[in-house]
Amino acid sequence: MATPSIELIHEVEQFLYREARLLDAEQFEAWLEMLTEDIHYWMPSIQNRYRRDKSPAYTQNSMALFDEDMKSLQLRIKRFNTGVAWPEDPPTRHCHVITNIEVALTDKPDEYRVYSAFVNHRSRTEQDEDMLIGRREDILRRTDGALKLARRKIITTQSTILSKNLSVFL
Amino acid sequence: MTKPDPRPYSQYVNMQEGWIDRRIFHDRDIYEAELEQIFARCWLFVAHESQIPAAGDFLTTYMGEDAVIVSRRKDGGIGVFLNSCPHRGNRVCFADAGNARQFVCNYHGWSFGNDGSLLGMHEEYVYKEDPAFDKSKHGLVNARVEVWKGLVFATFADDAPGLKDYLGAFAWYLDMMLDTDEGGTEFVPGGVRNIVNCNWKFPAENFHGDAYHVGWTHMAGSIAYGGAPFKADQNASFQMTAQGHGWESGYDGADMRGLGSQAIARYVTQQRPAIERRLGPERAKMIGAIASVSMFPNFSFLPGINTFRVWQPKGPDKTEIWAWALVNKNAPDEVKQDIRRFAMRSFSPSGMLEMDDGENWESATRANKGVVTRRQKLFYGMNRLAANGPPNYPGRVRQGQMGDNNQMAMYQRWADLMDAKCWADVPNRDTQKAAE
Repeated sequence: MATPSIELIHEVEQFLYREARLLDAEQFEAWLEMLTEDIHYWMPSIQNRYRRDKSPAYTQNSMALFDEDMKSLQLRIKRFNTGVAWPEDPPTRHCHVITNIEVALTDKPDEYRVYSAFVNHRSRTEQDEDMLIGRREDILRRTDGALKLARRKIITTQSTILSKNLSVFL
Repeated sequence: MTKPDPRPYSQYVNMQEGWIDRRIFHDRDIYEAELEQIFARCWLFVAHESQIPAAGDFLTTYMGEDAVIVSRRKDGGIGVFLNSCPHRGNRVCFADAGNARQFVCNYHGWSFGNDGSLLGMHEEYVYKEDPAFDKSKHGLVNARVEVWKGLVFATFADDAPGLKDYLGAFAWYLDMMLDTDEGGTEFVPGGVRNIVNCNWKFPAENFHGDAYHVGWTHMAGSIAYGGAPFKADQNASFQMTAQGHGWESGYDGADMRGLGSQAIARYVTQQRPAIERRLGPERAKMIGAIASVSMFPNFSFLPGINTFRVWQPKGPDKTEIWAWALVNKNAPDEVKQDIRRFAMRSFSPSGMLEMDDGENWESATRANKGVVTRRQKLFYGMNRLAANGPPNYPGRVRQGQMGDNNQMAMYQRWADLMDAKCWADVPNRDTQKAAE
């Protein structure tokens, strides 16, 4: 497989940084615009299993923390925008740090596989503090000239989420 | 200075005036007593049978703060035993689930069968030099185990009543989850866990009977899902308590499961006549209603959404939520997957409804750090004067799903167990007999 051009890598990086900034700023409608209509946004729940165990730590059909399509993501944004989503009022302060970005070409000319790592730090009210760290595996698709997110798999380092909620997109 | 004796625990629960002393939500000594008096004595949910179908299958969980292994033995039975080596105390299993012929301690290589018995150890010959050494005395401590329509329960109390008596009239209601189809039920593979810094009793009482919070706490999610905040109908709903367990539900025939997906809606419509034949009209019209359920002390679920969870106590101000999704074994795969997604999207750490709960419970717990704050009792008098509910429902039934009657029944059970020296001393508060 050919290696991606510097221009493509730069474009992908800017895409992911922009996405992170929109999420930090709660610009969710603009964020939804960055996703394809057939988006699959997935964060499986991890089971601790011994190395000798042939069963995987997660499957497509096992319990997940997010397993979303465009409709369910829109529903989440709708909930947030009702003005009565109490756990987001006063607002949470988010910072998404995106790093370790790798771009690979795929056998589809308009799709790229993108690996990245993230740190999501959030704090709200006086002292609430949560940190999620993990990796993402994305498929970005070029649609009408612009990149869009078509698939995202999120794996955090935690098997028990050490937070009272996941009121966050990663 | 010695600390004052916290007993009797009945002083913290006033059934007549309807208040609870906040001490029970933050006091470390009371929490330690709960581990002894409640978690080491009650029947606790440990697994669904479907999670360990084959011989050697196991999962690990907790009974109170005691780590246990739930294991399918060679003889097909289920063993539940402590996950702690009797040699130095180390855990003998670190996986959440799997299949194993034996559990081997990493420290000195002591190995245990899937019935908990000690099989052998590293350099065993040294022990054998002592003629008094008896391997059979050093196994993993087993709990009593009983299975109820697929749900596996265990208790460490020899004097506890059998599971059927422990459930009482609650069992009649459980059929609405566990026995709507001849094929029985199963858990979707895997589970979800997260930590909430709250006392375990806040989520437990919430599921016992708090339909009141739904319309306000979950206003945003209700509007997004259904277009309007949830509105309870006090005239077509009830709270039921039996043996300290709680079930609140509507019975106007409304079915909210269709919110999950069209496939779920089609499935429940198609199932309805068979359920009516199987369980009768009283229960059939409750299926799919807005409802919440808690089995004392820390096992809860939501009919209609099918999320099942255990509130694992981790200290007076820390609870781990372990959640699964229940489906009928015979349901089409598409329906099982949609129920899995519906449960996760509404009730999980990322759930559009559950997301709202954690902060309330954390804040209600944390507030008690204030010494003046904690002097004020919490008011649990809502719908105290409610009439008895429909007579064709077993258990102690009160009209209206918004109220504190179930919650108070839970705290009465809590106080009864906390003060009782043995199970024979625990009063039976149910006057109505369980329906067969």
